[in-house]
Amino acid sequence: MPAAGRRHRWILARAACCLALAACATAKPAPKQNTFALLAEPEGGAGQISVVSASGTQVLSQPGQATVVVVDKPPSQPVVLDEAEISRTFGDALAAMPVAPVHFILYFKEDSDDLTPESQALLPDFFRAVREHDPADVSIVGHTDTRADRDYNYKLGLRRANRLADLLAAQGVDRSTLDIDSHGKDDLLIKTGDQVPEPRNRRVEITVR
Amino acid sequence: MKALSIAALVVLLLGAADAATSAEAAASSVGLVKVVVGNAVVQRGDQTLSARPGLLLMEGDLLRTGADGRLGVVLRDDTRVSLGPETEIRIDRFVFAPAQGHLALVLKMARGVAAYVSGKIAKLDPDAVRVETPVAIVGVRGTRFAARLETP
Repeated sequence: MPAAGRRHRWILARAACCLALAACATAKPAPKQNTFALLAEPEGGAGQISVVSASGTQVLSQPGQATVVVVDKPPSQPVVLDEAEISRTFGDALAAMPVAPVHFILYFKEDSDDLTPESQALLPDFFRAVREHDPADVSIVGHTDTRADRDYNYKLGLRRANRLADLLAAQGVDRSTLDIDSHGKDDLLIKTGDQVPEPRNRRVEITVR
Repeated sequence: MKALSIAALVVLLLGAADAATSAEAAASSVGLVKVVVGNAVVQRGDQTLSARPGLLLMEGDLLRTGADGRLGVVLRDDTRVSLGPETEIRIDRFVFAPAQGHLALVLKMARGVAAYVSGKIAKLDPDAVRVETPVAIVGVRGTRFAARLETP
């Protein structure tokens, strides 16, 4: 058989397969009853969500408050669920919630990739966070104050970020998993004019996710 | 002979596609998988990737769990989402460029049970975050909530 014919057959087979899959997916009826609950913040209190259906809106702002939406109906009057009910209804999902990402800002000495003594003391916390988030997505972004030119500061920021990456690598972390960058003097923590020395801008910002 | 060279070409193309996918993923990922229990997959176009911790996520990815599955993901703005069994959520839109003022997060939940903890997008612009289900749209003002979709 000519190769073109084979290819056509293969494409047809794939198309049939896709159609069968699509049919399976649409065969499942869309869930008609949705329950939404606002959860307490770890530090207490709660934020707010608004639940909007085709025929009404309900705003939830108390921890544990829940509303039920049935298709074509407005959301029900909110009721407060206790912890046992929350856990019974949503526990399967809550159990898979990842650990919260953490952020660090470590400061450096003037025109240097040496950490200040205060920031040096925070390194064990940083290393522990990376271990606790394994496999972690770690972003390390170097920054500088506005002394010297842009190009110099870009490189200084990068040296600072790489210094921390080296320290992590020495802890056994694979360097290729680190996202290292420099914003030089373009992303100031403390807004200053140009050519202004500012210790709080000589930093590396880290996210461990 | 012809068939052989076509087979070789297919292998080559598949290899190139794989390389392109991983390079692209590193450049524009919107988050990553952190927690996997049981059967959980990430559907990307016509690719079905088995979910494993560390797998990078892209805008448009469909997260799906089986009867014994659970899945927890973290997005690049620190938003966290977890799925219980038999759950489907699409990361429909994710834009996180605070410096340019471009922020958007739209999750489309089709079924199952899920929990959500908001990240920086909701803090910076609460109107930019939306969770859609078959019967409702949830607007999120910097908080955590849970949803269960069922057919009574």
